[in-house]
Amino acid sequence: MEIDGEKAVLERKQSTYLALDETFEIQKETYGGQQYSQIYFTRLHLMRTLLYSLVPNLKPHLPVCKILELEKGKECIVVGTLYKHMKLKPSILDEYSRTRSVTPLVKPHNFMHPDDHLILEDESGRVKLGGTMLLPSSYITGIVVALQGKETGAGDFFVQDVLEAGLAPQIEFPLESREDKYVVLVSGLSVGSSASNPLQFQLLVDHITGHLGDEKEQAIAAQIVHVIIAGSSVEIPRGLLNGQNLASKDQSRLSVPIKELDIMLTQIAAGVPLDIMPGPNDPANYSLPQQPLNRCLFPGSAAYNTFRSCTNPHCFELDNIRFLGTSGQNIDDLQKYSEAKDKLEFMERTLRWRNLGPTAPNTLGCYPFIDRDPFLIDSCPHVYFAGNQDKYETSLLKGTEGQLVRLICIPKFSKTGVAVAVSFCIFPSILKLPKELENLFQA
Amino acid sequence: MATTSSKNMKGFYRQKKTTGGITKKATNTKWSAALSSNLTALISHASPDLKDDYDDKESVLREFDMNMAYGPCLGMSRQARWERANRLGLNPPKEIEGLLNGGKVQAGCLWDGRV
Repeated sequence: MEIDGEKAVLERKQSTYLALDETFEIQKETYGGQQYSQIYFTRLHLMRTLLYSLVPNLKPHLPVCKILELEKGKECIVVGTLYKHMKLKPSILDEYSRTRSVTPLVKPHNFMHPDDHLILEDESGRVKLGGTMLLPSSYITGIVVALQGKETGAGDFFVQDVLEAGLAPQIEFPLESREDKYVVLVSGLSVGSSASNPLQFQLLVDHITGHLGDEKEQAIAAQIVHVIIAGSSVEIPRGLLNGQNLASKDQSRLSVPIKELDIMLTQIAAGVPLDIMPGPNDPANYSLPQQPLNRCLFPGSAAYNTFRSCTNPHCFELDNIRFLGTSGQNIDDLQKYSEAKDKLEFMERTLRWRNLGPTAPNTLGCYPFIDRDPFLIDSCPHVYFAGNQDKYETSLLKGTEGQLVRLICIPKFSKTGVAVAVSFCIFPSILKLPKELENLFQA
Repeated sequence: MATTSSKNMKGFYRQKKTTGGITKKATNTKWSAALSSNLTALISHASPDLKDDYDDKESVLREFDMNMAYGPCLGMSRQARWERANRLGLNPPKEIEGLLNGGKVQAGCLWDGRV
């Protein structure tokens, strides 16, 4: 390496950051003994108002009525919350039931059954849904839809057509010609678990901070403007968390993963803005929206103003490009109670239903909000990601009003060694960054 | 549950005989069933709330509580529920807000503390 006084220093690109996590924070909430009916009411009201405004454009001649106002044979539109009655869904009441039928053999993480059926509910009543238009396997409890159909003699509502809210309006993608910049999305680092390879993580950190490779490589790394860690960054040894008193040597074992993570994050935060989101295995609250990891856990990284601890779900804008994503709990929950050809289809469905976590609070833990549903998607993001997935997948979703969304499934880094770099140019296109050990030995 | 010795039970759980003393006008209202079943709850709140103390203002507020259009009332103060209804564009009657701001009315909903 020549020592040349006139060699230019590579500067990292920068971008403007805007955090939009206010709706996911629960510091201002007070618990007054409320139940989940409040969040369902708010969700139904807001979505129903929206659907009532969309229905006249598509089905102008049909009357809209509440469920209790349904008349036999009269074709109309009805809006309500879907409830899916699932035979195999575990219920706490099963513990108390005397007669327990032999549980059929079923995949352990999917509770679907051919006998599942859908029911539509609003504040006036509920009605069972019939017909072949709505496949129970594609729907879950908690979404609000408009249905066209009529009440049959048996008292069911025969569905002829379904109207979902569709993609939310999107702010315009800033199209001015821009220099190429990248955002790195990574999740499932699982520091402290047996599956995670510290060398892989160090390789990633070195690449991001520009300590790897020649000038060309470093120039690529200088285009990374932000790093998002989407959950499951640590794995605390489970054997220690069984409620028994910890010996002092075990106590230090408990904190080793977090300390290791902090050392790595300090290296990243020293060079590039970093957002860390809590995930299913992190020391944060269980129910969504998960609150930011405490800054005390990261004494080294929190000293930098580039370090930001964020909520899960996380919404932000970089150079006016809107990003929205979670650590994967919402998509994994959808997989337990419905089916789709891949995870991207689940993500597409959540956008079309305009709800990040429609199964909350039914099967996805959630705070009992009174006056809002934080999972409602008011503005369609440009990039929508879900962390802790099994493999890297991406697709481009087009909406009916010209919305374009890049869907990304971020794989678990500890299992796959893959991080995702999203480019700002063109419509956000993707670069996959494999961090296999082979890279170390290639020239 | 506080552990009290048996001789203190009477002080903890005051009981009154039903012969006389209790106004019977409660039985003529639709709330009599609720009141009689919750008599012990009323007494254990340290002041015998036996008078039928809901006047016109309270009955208007109870109608507001029971109105389905504004959502469930349990677990929220009436003020918070009115504000939520206002924010969601449901146009709750302004007089309810007036009643809640001025005058001594119950802040919690009808079922507050009873469910």
